[in-house]
Amino acid sequence: MITIPVSSHDAAQIFALEYYLMTEKKFTDTIFMLWSTTPTVMLGKYQDAASEVNLSYVKDHKIKIVRRRSGGGTIYTDEGGCQFTFIQPTTEKVIDFSTGMNLIVTALAQLGISVTIDGRNDLLAKGRKVSGNAQYLEGNYRLHHGSLLFNTDQASMARVLQVDPLKLASKGIASVRQRTGNLQQQRPDWSATIFRRYLKQTILEMIPHSIYHLTSADKTCVSKIKQRKFKSPFTNKPFSDQFSCSKKKYLKGVGLLQLSFTVKEQRLTAIKLTGDFFSTLEPKSFSTALVGTTFKPYPVFQALSQVLTATPIMGLTAETLTALIFEQQDN
Amino acid sequence: MIKEIHMPQLSAKSSQYFFGNWSKEPGEQVKRGDILFEVETDKVVSQVESQEDGILKEQKVKTGETVTVNDLVATIEVSEN
Repeated sequence: MITIPVSSHDAAQIFALEYYLMTEKKFTDTIFMLWSTTPTVMLGKYQDAASEVNLSYVKDHKIKIVRRRSGGGTIYTDEGGCQFTFIQPTTEKVIDFSTGMNLIVTALAQLGISVTIDGRNDLLAKGRKVSGNAQYLEGNYRLHHGSLLFNTDQASMARVLQVDPLKLASKGIASVRQRTGNLQQQRPDWSATIFRRYLKQTILEMIPHSIYHLTSADKTCVSKIKQRKFKSPFTNKPFSDQFSCSKKKYLKGVGLLQLSFTVKEQRLTAIKLTGDFFSTLEPKSFSTALVGTTFKPYPVFQALSQVLTATPIMGLTAETLTALIFEQQDN
Repeated sequence: MIKEIHMPQLSAKSSQYFFGNWSKEPGEQVKRGDILFEVETDKVVSQVESQEDGILKEQKVKTGETVTVNDLVATIEVSEN
């Protein structure tokens, strides 16, 4: 096994490092890394941020959002916990959580911390989730990464993951809400820093290993990958050239507008407008008039102008509806 | 000759998958081992490779849909040779 010391607390940087190790560095031995982050929300690859995260709270508290390349649900991480990564060379494209999770469970047991593995590949302590695990396969590598909650700020976690019930259902993967706990209950005398140090030390004592220190050339490559693939969870849409968006807004003098649309290859491929506004507008004719329009403000405005001239919505202008469509609610 | 591509079993735990991104578009050349599409199940994102050389004719599943093992996901036109 090779272990790589990670000094960064930037999840995007570390996800980029993981990807670099799998796609460019390509070690022939298993890699292990233990790391932690500043307050961060990590989305699964196919999740919709607006459906999973309290974006206004995240923005107000300067919490970072980053999208993983692995599957699963949204998690909140901070300096009170830690993350671990195993990157294993494999030609078998099969899912395997057991190797990494058994290692973590055994190491925790040696530290006097008791956890059990549940059916969703989570770790539980006294019935509460203390670790989530996810994987992705890239080339001839399997990446398994997971989180461990030691004394993570549970109040912040609850606020971050508290989603506005008005949000429409996501088309992506929905998180499974579970009660979470902190491992510090079993080791109240330890800080998170001590926990991370002991955990790393224990794992490294269990398996013969060498240490690889990233070179400046490695770091340059990682930074480029970060910019290219992990800079923003919003520009890096889960559906690459396709994304869906749902918005709900009450406009004074108009009423409640519910808008959902899909964009593929920069064109609207579906759009639906409903609400309690006054209009004779037929949803089907609205959709027919808009589908195929280039997804840029001016072409959309032109198409909306034509529709709303023919069948007005009381109090609503094409400018306002265009602004709603392109409103950056994610950011 | 048109070959049907069916959803393979990727997980012992489940037979239903969230269909992710397509890596190839209809009309595009596909070689054996090229990644065709991505699926997610059990918190794992997996890439599915083509077992055929040919041209991708049709995508039968869209991003965001649920697919079951053995569902028809695509057709590939393969050379008679």
